[in-house]
Amino acid sequence: MEEVDKILIHALKQVGTEVGEDVDRLNQFTSELIVEAVVRCIRVIDPALGEGLPTSLPPGMSARFRVGMSLAQACQDVGYKGEIGYQTFLYSNEPEIRSLLMYLVEKMPRESSEASDQPTGKSAVLHRAIAAAISGQLAVSWVPLNCRLPLHCETQNKAASHSFHVRPLSSPHCTNGQKYLKEVKDYQRDFLLPVTAQLPSQTSMVSSILEQHTADLSTAQEWDTEWKSQGLLSRLTPQEYRSRKLTRLRKRIEEQLRSAAAPSPESVFGVPRSTSELSDLLHTFRGSTPSDLILTKGSHFTHTQKFTFTQEAAAVPSPVHTGRQSEGDAQLRQQEELAALQQQFHQLCSDVDLMVADMKHMSVTNAQVFDELKQREMENTKNEEKTQVKKKTIDLLPDADNNLQKLQSQVEASANRVVNLASQWEKHRAPLIEEHRRLKEICSTKDLESSTKLSEIKSLHDKIRAATAEAKKKEESYKQLVTELESLPQDVSRSAYTQRILEIVGNIKKQKEEITKILSDTKELQKEINSLTGKLDRTFAVTDELVFKDAKKDESVRKSYKYLAALHENCNQLIQTIEDTGTILREIRDLEEQIETENCNKTVTNLERIMDDYKAIRQENSALAAKVREG
Amino acid sequence: MMEILSRISATDCVKLCHRVVDGLCGREPPCRSDYSTTWSLEEWLQLLDFLTSLFRLAVGNAIPDEEVLAKLSDADHSHADAVLSVLRGRWEEIRRALLDRTSSISSATLQDFDWQLKLALSSDKISSLNTPLLSLCLDVRENGALRPITMELNREEVSTLISSLEAANKVVLQLK
Repeated sequence: MEEVDKILIHALKQVGTEVGEDVDRLNQFTSELIVEAVVRCIRVIDPALGEGLPTSLPPGMSARFRVGMSLAQACQDVGYKGEIGYQTFLYSNEPEIRSLLMYLVEKMPRESSEASDQPTGKSAVLHRAIAAAISGQLAVSWVPLNCRLPLHCETQNKAASHSFHVRPLSSPHCTNGQKYLKEVKDYQRDFLLPVTAQLPSQTSMVSSILEQHTADLSTAQEWDTEWKSQGLLSRLTPQEYRSRKLTRLRKRIEEQLRSAAAPSPESVFGVPRSTSELSDLLHTFRGSTPSDLILTKGSHFTHTQKFTFTQEAAAVPSPVHTGRQSEGDAQLRQQEELAALQQQFHQLCSDVDLMVADMKHMSVTNAQVFDELKQREMENTKNEEKTQVKKKTIDLLPDADNNLQKLQSQVEASANRVVNLASQWEKHRAPLIEEHRRLKEICSTKDLESSTKLSEIKSLHDKIRAATAEAKKKEESYKQLVTELESLPQDVSRSAYTQRILEIVGNIKKQKEEITKILSDTKELQKEINSLTGKLDRTFAVTDELVFKDAKKDESVRKSYKYLAALHENCNQLIQTIEDTGTILREIRDLEEQIETENCNKTVTNLERIMDDYKAIRQENSALAAKVREG
Repeated sequence: MMEILSRISATDCVKLCHRVVDGLCGREPPCRSDYSTTWSLEEWLQLLDFLTSLFRLAVGNAIPDEEVLAKLSDADHSHADAVLSVLRGRWEEIRRALLDRTSSISSATLQDFDWQLKLALSSDKISSLNTPLLSLCLDVRENGALRPITMELNREEVSTLISSLEAANKVVLQLK
């Protein structure tokens, strides 16, 4: 019965009845709880019928009685065939309540059977959810901006249509080992607004914060991967690695800029325009800000430009003055002047071209001359050295022998010295070489060690990455399983119940088998008894005949015949009594069972309660009567 | 230039300079209406121009403090100090903003991008389509003007876009 009670309580909880945690059997139900459960069940089965029923018992006794009556009526309306009345609710009786609740729970409509008909699977469920959400949104009518309720926020909110705009934010970064200037601290303490107040509009704040965080995260990740792949192998500290990379990048950029800037002198006159964007950009730099520091190279062009432009500017005002005197002449004169000026301009341009060509030529010849000059100077110095050597030998010629000897002695002395020095050098060299070798060895061992350690670090990094990936995967699967579990609890209980039912069916089968066995045993016994009684009868008849025949002749035999008859009668009586006791015992057992069921019905306590309630009703009645009399 | 700056107190000057730096770094520049009683429009523009170019030059060319002070020599001591303290405090931020400007030197740069994933459930011809579509919105800054580019891509187009972007990233990595 416990199993049934559990199922019932579970079903009642699903309907909305507040069953306490410690209540797990129907006989622990109070009258209030029974009334609530029955009313909730009826409300689910037939909402119209359950509408008028209260879920709790009123305090007054007569009102309680009425509620019980209406509940019983409602149960009968729903279709309950069993015996039911107000006493079922007020003076509860476990089996009655159980049968009533079982009937009601079975009568309840099942949603799960509907749901199981539809196709399952993640995508199908998702599509159904999307379709449902869209149809729900379409069903909501559009309303003007000022009348929007919270339920419109999701679909008709203006914020949903905001595009993603990012603005830079300023936030203090806290890094270890880096000391801040006092001014920086002052700024961060006194002037720096919180991030949420730094932007004028709230809409771009979230996106800006997100953007900054992703930027920080991606830089950190990029640095991490680069450091693990290349930085560790270079065997430098992070700072050294960074500075080296910076210088390398600077060099590259410089090279690029230089190569882009190199053909600029030709393109200054606008004829051979270079196609690369970078050089275009450099030109724009040159054109717009001629006074900039970087652009000293291009001053050549800017000067000519300035020159021509200023000339034109100076030429403009003069015709304005003359134009006032006579209009007719003015145009002619202007044209003449313009032609003259244009001619002048052309001439100047060609002059400039010529000059430039000349200058180029000159510079080339100049370089050539310089080269020649250098060569000549070198030759000169060589010749001077030669003449000095020759001069000395000529000076030494007169006293040749003596000088030769001196020279030889000098040579010998120097040779001696060289030998001496060589031996000394050898002395020094040996230990130095030894040490060098030793250091080399140490170096190589250290190299080996460091490379093994590097490989270890790499493998560790790989392991860390693999472990994190695995952890993530497991977490995801865990989450998925949890969601699955959350969607599954009913099915689990159902499978448990089916298992339970199968077990019970098995038990019943076993019991049935045993019963049939016992039945066959009893049948056999009956048969045996029958055959025995038959045998007994037959033997008795035979003996009776025999003894009766002999009894006519012999007095003693007659006595024995009498005894036999007495014995038979006594045995019959004995058997009768035994049968009687058997039936009485069965009756006793039946009665005991009846007593037990009656005890279960709590008749005495219920009677007491009925008496109490009856007294209460009488009191209420008398009070009402007194009121009526007073009124 | 600095004598018109002297019309406000040194603490106000610090505040103004911080706002100027904010504007330089891409946030809200100072508001003219706050100072309209102090300076005329022309003076205001001149002052802003002067301060911005001062900060930019000082950080960009790494000018030492003495030279900055020399540029501010026509102001009284407290104001010059105020400007200098702002410069020192925001040095790193200004440098980063200038680097940003330099790195976005090319003719068109991507300012922002936004995406939305949409699922087309059905069309006028097909009752069940179930095709995911990505609507991508790029804000491209071209010659100083912001130009929004919006497009809708299906799965294959997104994968081609991503592969071409990855190829571009590879080229950038090789440059490093």
